[in-house]
Amino acid sequence: MWAKIAWRLFWRELGRGELWVIAFALFLAVVSVVSLTGITEGVKAALMQRSAQFNAADKVLRSSQPFVSDIITQAQQQGLTVAQQMQFDSMLFAGDNMQLATIKAVSSGYPLRGQLQLEAAERPGVAAEVQLSPGQLYFEARLFDLLKVQLGDEIELGMSRFTVAGVIVNEPDAPLSVFGGSPRVLMHLDDVAATQIVQPGSRIGYRYLFAGTAENLQQFEQALTPQLNVHQRWQKMDRESAIGSALERAERFLLLAGLLGIVLAACAAAVAANRYSQRHTQAVAVIKALGSSERQIRLLYGSHLLLVVLFSLVIGSLAGQIAINLAQWGIGIYLADYRPAFSWRPLWLGSLTCIICALLFAARPMWRLSQTPAIDVLKQPAAQGRVDKLQLFLGAAAIWGLMWLFSGELVLSLGLFALCAVFAALLVGTATLLLKVAKPVAAGQSSARRLALANLRRRIWANSFQLITFSLAIFLALLLYFLRAELIEQWQRQIPDGAPNQFLVNISAAQRDSLDNFAREHQLTLGQYYPVVRGRLTSINDEQLQQEASKEDRSEQRVGVGRELNLTWLADMPANNQLLSGSWFGSDSQAQVSVEQEIAERLQVKLGDKLAFSIGGQMVSATVSSIRSVDWNSLQPNFYMILSADLLADFPATYINAFYLDAERQLLLNQLARLLPTVSVISVDNIIKQVNDIISQVSVALSFILLIICCAAVLVLVAQVQATLEQREQELAILRTLGARYPFLRNALLMEFALLGAMAGLFATVLAELMLLIVQQRVFELPFSPHYTLWWLGPALGVLLVTLLGWWQLRRLLQIPGAQLMRRVLQG
Amino acid sequence: MKTPEVHIKAVNLAKSVKVADGSLTILHDISLTINHGETVAIVGASGSGKSTLLSLLAGLDLPTKGEVLLAGQPLHQLSEDQRAAIRASSVGFVFQSFLLLPSLTALENVTLPAELSGISDARERGLNLLRQVGLAERADFYPAQLSGGEQQRVAIARAFITRPAVLFADEPSANLDAATGQKIEDLLFKLNAEQGTTLVLVTHNNELAARCQRQYKMQAGSFTSTDLKELSDVG
Repeated sequence: MWAKIAWRLFWRELGRGELWVIAFALFLAVVSVVSLTGITEGVKAALMQRSAQFNAADKVLRSSQPFVSDIITQAQQQGLTVAQQMQFDSMLFAGDNMQLATIKAVSSGYPLRGQLQLEAAERPGVAAEVQLSPGQLYFEARLFDLLKVQLGDEIELGMSRFTVAGVIVNEPDAPLSVFGGSPRVLMHLDDVAATQIVQPGSRIGYRYLFAGTAENLQQFEQALTPQLNVHQRWQKMDRESAIGSALERAERFLLLAGLLGIVLAACAAAVAANRYSQRHTQAVAVIKALGSSERQIRLLYGSHLLLVVLFSLVIGSLAGQIAINLAQWGIGIYLADYRPAFSWRPLWLGSLTCIICALLFAARPMWRLSQTPAIDVLKQPAAQGRVDKLQLFLGAAAIWGLMWLFSGELVLSLGLFALCAVFAALLVGTATLLLKVAKPVAAGQSSARRLALANLRRRIWANSFQLITFSLAIFLALLLYFLRAELIEQWQRQIPDGAPNQFLVNISAAQRDSLDNFAREHQLTLGQYYPVVRGRLTSINDEQLQQEASKEDRSEQRVGVGRELNLTWLADMPANNQLLSGSWFGSDSQAQVSVEQEIAERLQVKLGDKLAFSIGGQMVSATVSSIRSVDWNSLQPNFYMILSADLLADFPATYINAFYLDAERQLLLNQLARLLPTVSVISVDNIIKQVNDIISQVSVALSFILLIICCAAVLVLVAQVQATLEQREQELAILRTLGARYPFLRNALLMEFALLGAMAGLFATVLAELMLLIVQQRVFELPFSPHYTLWWLGPALGVLLVTLLGWWQLRRLLQIPGAQLMRRVLQG
Repeated sequence: MKTPEVHIKAVNLAKSVKVADGSLTILHDISLTINHGETVAIVGASGSGKSTLLSLLAGLDLPTKGEVLLAGQPLHQLSEDQRAAIRASSVGFVFQSFLLLPSLTALENVTLPAELSGISDARERGLNLLRQVGLAERADFYPAQLSGGEQQRVAIARAFITRPAVLFADEPSANLDAATGQKIEDLLFKLNAEQGTTLVLVTHNNELAARCQRQYKMQAGSFTSTDLKELSDVG
């Protein structure tokens, strides 16, 4: 029977507002969590897939030891596809010419991800997506010139002879380095044995390529990792690239910003639940007097909350899932082969958030309602505005719990929570103080203004709470608005319009004039020539370095870089570098080196240490004179080691340069290739496009969060004004009865909300400016510049928003005739 | 089973409440006996403690000291839920400010106690009672759409729907004008007589009190008299 009554009451109560506010607040929480986690997961998955294309596989295991068939069998049993790859340097002979090349031998099936495009001898000018067959050898374009061969010519590699079958047009896992290396050659793995190149002690890199479902890959990785020896390791997938780190920052920011919106929405839910409970106190007392038990009341009102939660959960999840699908569709447009996957994680995370919000913010007032004693039926309703300490505690616990859930970091969540608590305390203190100070000020004011001030002061506690939530709502909207603009600008600054998108590598000193002429002729703006000399770091402070890391003797010998470094000499420090310690070379600096910070830490190098390099068989020593930080996210040539000019100037160097070429003039690259066949052109257009696409995706997500926060802010304001509706009704009835006229009451009301809005707007502005200062200095490392717009926008937004919302909700109350109002009040 | 002669019995009832500086005694040493079907008025000025006494007799609240027996049940020893069960089965209320649930219609308000007690013909009973109080045509009106007198008639109908053995009325006509108040009082006594209910009525109105068989006069938390003549100076 109670279910029938519960349903009837629920249905009638829907018209009264609070249940909708709770439902909408929970809906906002669900939809923001589901869509945000879903969309960031989608973008992350897209990034991983793109990275898989760049690695030709979903997962790569590197080894310096020959292939173990057991690993391949295990992977196949796990349902993965497997390909193998060997890489080594070897000499190629064509008649009298010879050239050192990097040979990559791949098994059938390669590449597992991405596309291998080759231009076969039979079909010149046509790049086709093909797989390699045994007996074929494909060359990188510049090798033809170096070896003076043509398609179809014979080549010797080790003990075998091959015919050059074609040109490598696109190799998915080619090293993405602007420095290039030896020219590249592709062959089939089955042909390697016959060349007899692989001998004991040969330096050969073996790679196992795996592809399959995320779940199978993860299980396989977990199973295999404990079996790996020191010579085998998983290859890191593109996570440290510019895009990866930008996305990681974005994801954390999105979730945290989203969380603040959720907290706001939860506050709205709490306020609405409180009002709902207050408005029903007398009804509960009556029902209890009529003989209902506490359990029945709990069922009655618990079912209301349950229905609201279920409704919000279902609608919110659906809306969130639609947003995810839209985003996946968007990603699919710019990422070929994107395979969107359905994930339960956003849905359960959204549901969990909804339940936490409902239980810890809204359930407590409902519970308290059931404890209303029957005797209250004979008493006046209790005064509003009492602070329920347990509810405050539960709400705070919920906020912290959500922070922890989303950030996944205990310390970060505790810090953030403490910061919020301090802000809240400061706001309450200031608000209370201001409202108290307002009393003497009010003395000389017009009567409407006096009434407005008196109203604000009388509800001092309720108003402090309102002020906090109003301020918080406006603060978040302002912060996100300005931060969004700044974040996007910051990201775009990394890739400004017209940033070089074509890098030229391997330019010889003799070719510089031709290149300059070519650039002048075609109106291309060349950048700085960076000289490059390749060398190996051999010792630090005369201590010989071990070139490959191995577990056994790590403690005895210092570990080196493990590969040849690109060394350069520059008179001026590159713009995207920052000097951390020491000083940059002077004009008379002798035998000095500037070291990049991360590698300095890894090699345990400090100022004054002596580094020795082996360059083309000659030894060169340099003293560390400075440590620099480098912005690796910038698409610029970056160097670990920059030496003083005196050391390198005499070595034969090649040069790097770069220019911007718009899409319409791509054909110029062919002319350039004919003019300077040994120069490699590396186009970073795809990377730039990828970064821009992700930036625009993230901006859309940011706008979406801004929208959610604005909705939550409005919701809080609505809930807050609704909460004072009854009390205002009583006051209005009394004032009307005492003869107050409409214009007077209207002015008093407008002024009260305008004052509240102005205070909230001002607090929000100060908070937002402070936060922006911290973000600018700590995150973007930019000098502080005040946001002048903020200082008028914040208070104006506060006045406008709060006054409009207050007026919108209360105008009907003012229009009710006095007698009717009095009757409503008397009838409760 | 024969119903006991005594319906409500209070022995040495006292009620005090905590205030900022100690405690305040609202009721002192009240004893009374009310028989089945009797109509009894408790008369007194505002703040004399009559509503507090009503809340103790109806089991809405517990005494600080003393005993209350309703139909032989020791209310002072029972829990909130046990007292609620007794109220559901055998107590009806009429309040000064009507206390209808604003989101339920007149009929739904009337049937609420019956539905809470699981009575199956609640709707028929409710319609019948609304007819008896002259509001059959307003069954689907919400309280806000009814006048004060009409609201109180709905409240009276609600009070009788479970056919309670005892009815507690707290200033039932105080919020109404004299003519409407008179009609409400007539209705209350009429239904009470028809159903043979025990009526305990709290009022400051002597004329209304005079319509009851017996009167208790209260002042400062104690009975001063049960003599009707002495009541003429009250109110």
